Amino acid sequence: MLLIGEGAEAKMFKVGVRSACVAVKCRVRKKYRIQELDKELRESRTRKEARVMEEAKEAGVAVPRILAVGRFSIYMEYLQGKLLKDTAQKTKLYIEAGELLAVLHKANIVHGDYTPANILVSSGAAYVIDFGLSDLNGSLEEKAIDLLLMKHSTSRRNYAALQSSYEEHYGDAKLILRRLSEIEKRGRYQTRTLE
Amino acid sequence: MLTLGIESSAHTFGVGIVDNGKILANVKRMYSIGTRGIIPAKAAEFHAKNAAGVITAAIQEAGIQVKDLEGVGYTKGPGIGPCLQVGQLAAKMLASKLKIKIVPVHHGIAHLEITKHFCGFRDPVFLYVSGGNSQILALQKSKPPHYSVIGETLDVGVGNMLDSFARGIGLRPAWGSTVAKTALHGRYVRMPYTVKGVDFAFTGLLTHALKLSGSVRKEDLCYSIQETAFSVLCEATERVLLLSNKKELCVCGGVAQSKRLKEMLSKMCYDHKIRFGYVKDEYNADNGAMIALTAEKLLKGGYQVPLDRCDILQRYRIENAVTLQG
Repeated sequence: MLLIGEGAEAKMFKVGVRSACVAVKCRVRKKYRIQELDKELRESRTRKEARVMEEAKEAGVAVPRILAVGRFSIYMEYLQGKLLKDTAQKTKLYIEAGELLAVLHKANIVHGDYTPANILVSSGAAYVIDFGLSDLNGSLEEKAIDLLLMKHSTSRRNYAALQSSYEEHYGDAKLILRRLSEIEKRGRYQTRTLE
Repeated sequence: MLTLGIESSAHTFGVGIVDNGKILANVKRMYSIGTRGIIPAKAAEFHAKNAAGVITAAIQEAGIQVKDLEGVGYTKGPGIGPCLQVGQLAAKMLASKLKIKIVPVHHGIAHLEITKHFCGFRDPVFLYVSGGNSQILALQKSKPPHYSVIGETLDVGVGNMLDSFARGIGLRPAWGSTVAKTALHGRYVRMPYTVKGVDFAFTGLLTHALKLSGSVRKEDLCYSIQETAFSVLCEATERVLLLSNKKELCVCGGVAQSKRLKEMLSKMCYDHKIRFGYVKDEYNADNGAMIALTAEKLLKGGYQVPLDRCDILQRYRIENAVTLQG
């Protein structure tokens, strides 16, 4: 078992060898919170994440295939590849990422952390990963925030490519973009970056 | 640089005196919230009645002469308008009588500065939790430098939420520390839990807990609302720490007096090898020393404001407030 990633609430492991590899996302215990609350959160979030991934797949979004769901872990196919933030040739992939987000939003799924660190490029195709902060029945505001986060996490050129592809594939894009500019006018978002 | 600071943004009228970062006096009197919370006009009246007495007591405690003062600071905001005005007026009177420099101070920045000062941290993430505020912040070394809010409450501050809850279920005195005491013998019942990335919300939790009052034991409600609210704060803070790669955390503000919150944050930091710091309760509750300390730092940095431009601002965002690097 090899640790391949670690976030605030989960660890990502690679299990198995070569062609028979599985990726396991395991929500780890947080010692700071009481056990009842900890178990309840990890359990419900694991279930929800799996459910959103299934719905996203059904809607036609490229996501890793889920193999099994445990109490605190999701077992999925291991995709060999690089994160979008680490790839060199980009514009084409950002166009693809824009279409993926359009399809997600059409199905009213919001990702919650749509950045180049959560798009995996495997065999030349883009996959959306880490649905840890995602939700079904996303609101206009949440959809706009998906775009806003991406806008803050990549270059102007990459974002422009993503947005125009998003607009092309999503009929409600105008509404979302209008909300996005409203959000940007609210003072606090202008200074909200991490160095 | 002998500096006096006046805090009067909410229920506390506090006066602190510092000299080169050393606190010589920290005196305060607090308006009693009774069962009805803070009534702005009454609190302001309380401050006005006590201002002279608290200032005199602080000067005595510091063992200095009024004429030795070199600077004065006061809370510009955010806070309750009529209350802020009392502190502003007192500071302006001192400044014009003694002909010394005066500087308005952002209340939140004063909490951060005194905490950073005592912890000796270089570039921490701050969890600032009080009645009206719940924010996760860090210093941006841009020009001009400012504290930027990375995550914050989307509705109410955690302190006000706990106070409203205490009032709602009939605890006396109606605030967070009474909730904490009652929670000691509680068991967990399920509560709504809202974290959205690095932001969070509390009103859903409050409404739910109040709805259960009557059918669930008070002890259990107190325990559950407190555990849930503090876990929410810990989780959002943990995410900010990992995203920012910073290695220090400070907790400050009135709610930072909570032992349980500090225990949880300390466990979280231990697991990520992050240094964790906080100051004595005396400096986490609203106080004049933090205003004096911040005022002295600003004055030493060459920042001062002409008397006729010393205003107050009830809704004063921390990003827009003057601060200095380091």
